[in-house]
Amino acid sequence: MSTHNGSAPDRLRVLTAVVEDHPGVLTRVSGMIRRRGFNIQSLSVGPTDEAGRSRLTLTVDAGHAEVDQVQKQLERLIEVIDVEDLTEAPRLSRELALVKLAVTGPRRDRAVAEVDRFGGRVVDVGPETVIVEVSGEFDRVERFLEALRPYTVVELARSGPVAMRSGVPITHPTKEVSE
Amino acid sequence: MTGAEIVLEALQREGVDRIFGYPGGANLPIYQQLPKYPKLQHVLVRHEQGAAHMADGYARASGRPGVVFATSGPGALNTITGLCTAYMDSVPVVAITGQQNTNLVGRDAFQESDVIGCSMPVTKHNYMVKRVEDIARVIHEAFHIATTGRPGPVLIDICKDVQQASCDPVWPDRIDLPGYRPAFSPDLSKLEEAAEALARADRPVILAGHGVILSGGEEELIAVAEKSVTPTGTTLLGVGAFPVRHPLSLHMTGFMGTGWNLKAVQNADLLMMVGMRVDDRVTAKLSDWAPKVETFIHIDIDASEMGKNVRPHLEVVADAKTALGAMLPHVGVPKSEQRRAWLTQIDQWREEHPLKYVRSNGHLQPQDVMIEMYRRCDNDAIVVADVGQNQIWAALWWNYTRPGLFINSGGAGTMGFAFPAAIGAKMARPEKAVWCVAGEGGFVMTAQELSVAVKHRLDVKVVLLNNFSLGMVRQFQDDFYGGVRSEVDLSEMPDFVKLADAYGLPGICVETVDEIKPAFDFAERTPGPVLIDFRIDPNANVYPIVPLGRGLNDFWELPDEYA
Repeated sequence: MSTHNGSAPDRLRVLTAVVEDHPGVLTRVSGMIRRRGFNIQSLSVGPTDEAGRSRLTLTVDAGHAEVDQVQKQLERLIEVIDVEDLTEAPRLSRELALVKLAVTGPRRDRAVAEVDRFGGRVVDVGPETVIVEVSGEFDRVERFLEALRPYTVVELARSGPVAMRSGVPITHPTKEVSE
Repeated sequence: MTGAEIVLEALQREGVDRIFGYPGGANLPIYQQLPKYPKLQHVLVRHEQGAAHMADGYARASGRPGVVFATSGPGALNTITGLCTAYMDSVPVVAITGQQNTNLVGRDAFQESDVIGCSMPVTKHNYMVKRVEDIARVIHEAFHIATTGRPGPVLIDICKDVQQASCDPVWPDRIDLPGYRPAFSPDLSKLEEAAEALARADRPVILAGHGVILSGGEEELIAVAEKSVTPTGTTLLGVGAFPVRHPLSLHMTGFMGTGWNLKAVQNADLLMMVGMRVDDRVTAKLSDWAPKVETFIHIDIDASEMGKNVRPHLEVVADAKTALGAMLPHVGVPKSEQRRAWLTQIDQWREEHPLKYVRSNGHLQPQDVMIEMYRRCDNDAIVVADVGQNQIWAALWWNYTRPGLFINSGGAGTMGFAFPAAIGAKMARPEKAVWCVAGEGGFVMTAQELSVAVKHRLDVKVVLLNNFSLGMVRQFQDDFYGGVRSEVDLSEMPDFVKLADAYGLPGICVETVDEIKPAFDFAERTPGPVLIDFRIDPNANVYPIVPLGRGLNDFWELPDEYA
């Protein structure tokens, strides 16, 4: 994290944060990121196994700031319980993409074969369209979409990545009670 | 109890004795109950911005959180500048604003505004309360957040129907904020390392910021500086943290700091920054700042300040008082010959670059006024300055031989801050003399609060440094914007003596040096507020000054022929 180590740190930070599930928490996070001159590339939110807690996965460009500021400024927010910067850590990352293709007849068969090749699935079949899904690392999703491009993509939805440190167990932040 | 009663009861439990506020539609339930709580003395301001600055001044002077009441919409929004001022300077303030009824929120109802959204960037935290059961907990948490760690303002927006609803309040006996861990024990090994580095350095400098004053660490600072024989300066917000007349004093740093301070910073081989943010007003051009420093030590309570502007070699996240106190036993005595050479060098810079001002040109000089005011302060009075030239003159001519209290809006630079903040300071510390130094431009921005000083017969003495222009802006235009004087003329101003008279306080006008002493005599012997309109040299400038965009080495001084 220190800039003393010589090599320039990655300006694109991948972080995961556990936050209190309160109204306005996302506004606080995104407002801080804009205010500090950072930029959100992707953001996904979901519940954790603990009631009242959500987990965010963020990909944030640190902009002109020192890269460790992204984590430090997140940690300053009262409702942010724990932040981990995974940029330089071994991590597992997954993104889900839903793609609606306008394909019929033999083109449909060729498209489905392409989906199979990527380990994707057909999840909805209509007379004019099919919806397929794939999950994987960012690059894999990109390659999947590239492969489907000839098949008339009419709608695309991507979840943005969710990430987790691999190997070591995730430590739950301990509840601390002050005063 | 109703929500309104719970609010007032909670404030009483937090030890609040003063509230600065203004009633309106959405906080009327609270005001209806207020007379039942005589321990909560309410100060009716004339504009909500005044309330926020009073609460801020109250907090800075006492160390206790200042409390603000305002109604929804315009009332709440009028506090925003004041909250921002407190936020930038890390001052504990709790603002309680009324909000429309819960079922009307989001429908653009009368006097509805998104106060949570508006105040989010200028508060440490904020709350919207939509359930009466939450009020007691939220107020308790708000005071905890405002006053612990790096202090700051917290806003609580309470819907009117929630103020009117009833419940049996549950008074929390503990705080459960899992994401808020303000208390740090400083890393002792780092502090030992810092102490050793300080004694080992050839040319060390300590710079002290607001954090030293906020933590009450002035004594520890003096002890560390003396034991390690380290020259010590302050930021603008740190003025008062270290005695200016101390032999080790470097006085104020930054782009309007003293010449000997800037020389010391630019030649130091070790720089220890305590309780400060190292902002652009301290460093001027960052890439030229402190170029010879081999060891940066940064002590601050906020971990995000570490490396935000300057990457330290040694970082200690702790409040200044605790860190300096823990460091003290490990501070060694430096080799005397190396330190003597450094101190001799600094003494020489002090002689070569003294603070100078224009004398005997027929005009009243602001520095003459400051020198006389500080003579009467006797190292004890609270001085509250506004923003602009008056602020820097008041800071540079601060001459206390022991730590003292100098209050100003350093981070936000809010014109109009000084007078209401001085009212708050006087209410917090009635035993202290309080001087308010302001330019005429900033003063008229909040001058309506004169009524508050008169109503409460407050001994706040206003030293108006009146140059009939926006002096600092005029100086910048003259020196850095091609000499084009654009919209800085304030010759059309009220007659301040008549203005004072209209508000019901005595005012006098001073135009010559000979009148300065009698004017201060009059102010001191007259109980209650007094305004002195000092008609100063319209061309008086602030020196030294570092030209915009340049490094500290390039500071300008008053040319000798004028001094």
